[in-house]
Amino acid sequence: MQRQLELELIRKCKSGQSRFYEPLVRAYEPAGLRLAMAMMGNADDAKDALQMAFIKTYDTLPRFDLRRPFGPWFFQILRNQCRDMLRSRKAKFNLEALDERLEERPADTEKGPERMRQRNAAKELLWSALERIGTDHREILVLKELQGFRYAEIAQILDIPEGTVASRLYHARSALKDALHEMDAEYP
Amino acid sequence: MSDQITPDDLMRYLDGEMSPEERTRTEAAMAASTELQRDFALFRALKSDIQGLSIHPATYRSSVWDQVNAHVNRPMGWALLLIGVAVWMAYGAYVFATSPASPWEKLGTGAIAIGILMLLASVIWERLREWETDPYRDVYR
Repeated sequence: MQRQLELELIRKCKSGQSRFYEPLVRAYEPAGLRLAMAMMGNADDAKDALQMAFIKTYDTLPRFDLRRPFGPWFFQILRNQCRDMLRSRKAKFNLEALDERLEERPADTEKGPERMRQRNAAKELLWSALERIGTDHREILVLKELQGFRYAEIAQILDIPEGTVASRLYHARSALKDALHEMDAEYP
Repeated sequence: MSDQITPDDLMRYLDGEMSPEERTRTEAAMAASTELQRDFALFRALKSDIQGLSIHPATYRSSVWDQVNAHVNRPMGWALLLIGVAVWMAYGAYVFATSPASPWEKLGTGAIAIGILMLLASVIWERLREWETDPYRDVYR
């Protein structure tokens, strides 16, 4: 979404015109759902977290500083919502149909069922390893690899100095590597 | 890891967060160290595999907008409802007070109306107290 359009929509929402919130929700929903799914591990909890994050975002819009970008601010609220839900008794990371492994695609079947089975097994292993490494490591990997944020954006979302992002990523990737080794998976 | 290249440098190189000068320096260090090359290959493989993960497309089919919209508009709905009820109650009380009915009729009708309101208020209060102390109020059913 263009920055100017986004700003205009936020201004309208801040003035109490809630119908202008819909384009913002629609624009940020796919990326938000991706983050929530990777944090929560299942669609139901992810959608609950996403819904609550959009509501909290709307409720706090009057305090939103228009000079700041909306995206990282929203993802920070969503990330905090996911963490709150994981901390509470409501939800725990629960792998459930996260990937496309349950769905056969024509391109996959052309490569042969054995190749597809291996690919799916590898993805399942990776999801399990991500589950093992814990929320702190998982969230920074999700923000970097699945969402494609730059270090500056990750720092803003996680509310940490930009200089520590590389270090956090190193520890998260090392933890993932160790988890995969513990699961007898081989990396190059 | 090499003396010159720290783990943070390797991450920044892997993620394309280095300046051209830093990239040149890192590439020179990597060319001279098989250990660095091995570490880099491992982290690059991990990065590529995570990026290959995806969410099942069925997840995207329904939007959360309806639920968000319902919540966002709820305060306005409640406000309008309460204003409407207050206006009607004030008007009803005025009509009732200025009607030509006998004082006994007014007394009886007023007692019934006040009694119903008191019972309603006590039930709402009781439910509210129960909800506040319910340990399972956040559990999804």
